[in-house]
Amino acid sequence: MKLFAKYSRINVVATVIIFLIACIAFYFTLHYVLMSQIDQDLKIEQREIETFVREHNRLPENISVKDQLIRYQPIQKNITSRFTTHFIKEHGGDDDGEKFRQLAFSIKVGTQWYQATVSKSLEATENLSRSILIIAFITILVILLVTFLINRIVLKRIWKPFYQSLDTVKDFKVGETAPLQLSPSAIDEFQLMNQTLEKITRQAKLDYLSLKTFSENASHEIQTPLAVIRSKLDLIVQDESLTQKQSEALQAAYNSLQKLTRLNQSLLLLAKIENNQFGTIQSVDLKSMLEEKVADFNELWQTENILLHADLLPAVVRMNKDLAEILINNVLSNATRHNYNRGEISISLTKDFLEVANTSKQPMLNETMLYRRFLKSIHRSDSNGLGLSIIKQICDTSGFSIQYNFDENKHRFVIFFNAAKSYSDESKANQ
Amino acid sequence: MKILIVEDEKELSQSICDYLSNEQFTCEQAFDFQAALEKISLYDYACIVLDITLPNGSGMDILKELKTDNKIDGVLIISAKNSIDDKVTGLKEGADDYLSKPFHLSELAARVEAIIRRKSFDGKNIIQFDTIEVDLNEKTVTVDDSLVELTKKEYELLLYFISNKNKVISKNAIVIHLWGDDMDTADNYDFIYTHIKNLRRKLMKAGADDYIKSVYGMGYKFSLA
Repeated sequence: MKLFAKYSRINVVATVIIFLIACIAFYFTLHYVLMSQIDQDLKIEQREIETFVREHNRLPENISVKDQLIRYQPIQKNITSRFTTHFIKEHGGDDDGEKFRQLAFSIKVGTQWYQATVSKSLEATENLSRSILIIAFITILVILLVTFLINRIVLKRIWKPFYQSLDTVKDFKVGETAPLQLSPSAIDEFQLMNQTLEKITRQAKLDYLSLKTFSENASHEIQTPLAVIRSKLDLIVQDESLTQKQSEALQAAYNSLQKLTRLNQSLLLLAKIENNQFGTIQSVDLKSMLEEKVADFNELWQTENILLHADLLPAVVRMNKDLAEILINNVLSNATRHNYNRGEISISLTKDFLEVANTSKQPMLNETMLYRRFLKSIHRSDSNGLGLSIIKQICDTSGFSIQYNFDENKHRFVIFFNAAKSYSDESKANQ
Repeated sequence: MKILIVEDEKELSQSICDYLSNEQFTCEQAFDFQAALEKISLYDYACIVLDITLPNGSGMDILKELKTDNKIDGVLIISAKNSIDDKVTGLKEGADDYLSKPFHLSELAARVEAIIRRKSFDGKNIIQFDTIEVDLNEKTVTVDDSLVELTKKEYELLLYFISNKNKVISKNAIVIHLWGDDMDTADNYDFIYTHIKNLRRKLMKAGADDYIKSVYGMGYKFSLA
């Protein structure tokens, strides 16, 4: 729920309750005041009648005006005066009659007791209270409506910088060089928030940068010791007197060193792609590049008895040439490394996509985890877990999209040269 | 012929020196910028193996110095950076080749030989090894004047062997030389055996001796029997 909605919900409920209580209280107070006013009038009338009787020793003429009725009735004895509220039918009308306030009191004329009843119509006061109540009610509604509208418009405007900042932060990437630019706000709280956000993101950028520089430097620094180790191994193998056992140990050392070298180079490559050091974009003929690479790999595949299905159509894409080579190399290496003896690799290239599928002992891969660095496969220890990260990174920088699926026991990677297109488009087209 | 090795990592410099030194080459070492400048101003070298990142200076400045002195020394840059920019700048500044660390000594030796060959002005572009003659311009191989038909990979392999004659070359180094550093072979080097086998068969059929010897499954050595 939005802050504003939550706030206005509480606000409206509270306002309605307060107004209702106020209305009821107002109504009763008003009623009470008007009633005592009428009772006062009735008492004045009583006094007038009593004065008249005392002076003239007879009952006054029965003069009834529209909203005032006076009646006399002979009674046996004295009664206490009391106020009542009645409905009295007038002129024999068929309605319930009008509401009257009545004062009954006894009066003695000579020796005869009379009960005098003075009634006053309540119509005017009822009308008055009703009108006042209606006016109050309409006022409440209008106030509520206006408050609601004002809140909507004003709050929306007030919160605008907040949502703007939020949008900017949403698009924030720690790897990008441009600092976070938030539009200034006149409201202190938002200004504080923006300042804090800018500070945090600046710090995050600095931390990220120093971490990146650190890993880059570390990778660079590792190159020289690697070179020393490799050169020393190259010298040791020159020794004529090496035994078979020593040779085997040396070969193992060579292999591990090669793995370490490749790992380090992969890390450097990833850093370089992230730093946009492969800026030059040109038209790359993927078909001829792929054919060349396939010829290289074919020798490897033949020794592993891997069957190749290749279906290559001309495809020219705009990308960095070095990255294109690395991409193809990685895709083919990947399909080779996770394959088995007498397995299959199928490659198809069209102007829209490159698809490489391979058989493998591995079950279906988890696509969300797929491109993470150092994702170790269970079956092999000789992959460094960076191949797919590099493929993904190259796709991202080149504006390609990559999709993975697993069917007919084949792992299939499809690289779409137009990131907007997706696999579903392709399957639709095939139907 | 003299080769200068400008490399601040003494152990690496020593390895290069040990590997390259033979009856044909002598090596000198410079471990920092000043020593390197001094040496190039005093002597002429057939080839300079130059590290870009040096204490107290950059290898690029040594390249510039060579250029202003009109020296014709061949230069092979070895760099830990493996950056395309460095490569382009280095080659533009007059370097002959670029090799990124870590490299195999056999690869370095092949590159150094190639540079020296290109720099020698006698116009002779023929390498001789015993009865084998390789014409680098024509890219042809003859044994006792009879032509040997080699594939591109076999030709490159032969050149690599001759540049590293009498040295054990690891399979790993051969793969990197022929297929590049990127090709991830997952420790499977069986496929180079086919090329070695074919090259040996073709050379011997043409009448050459068996120069290629397998060394404990670790690598190969190209030498006179």
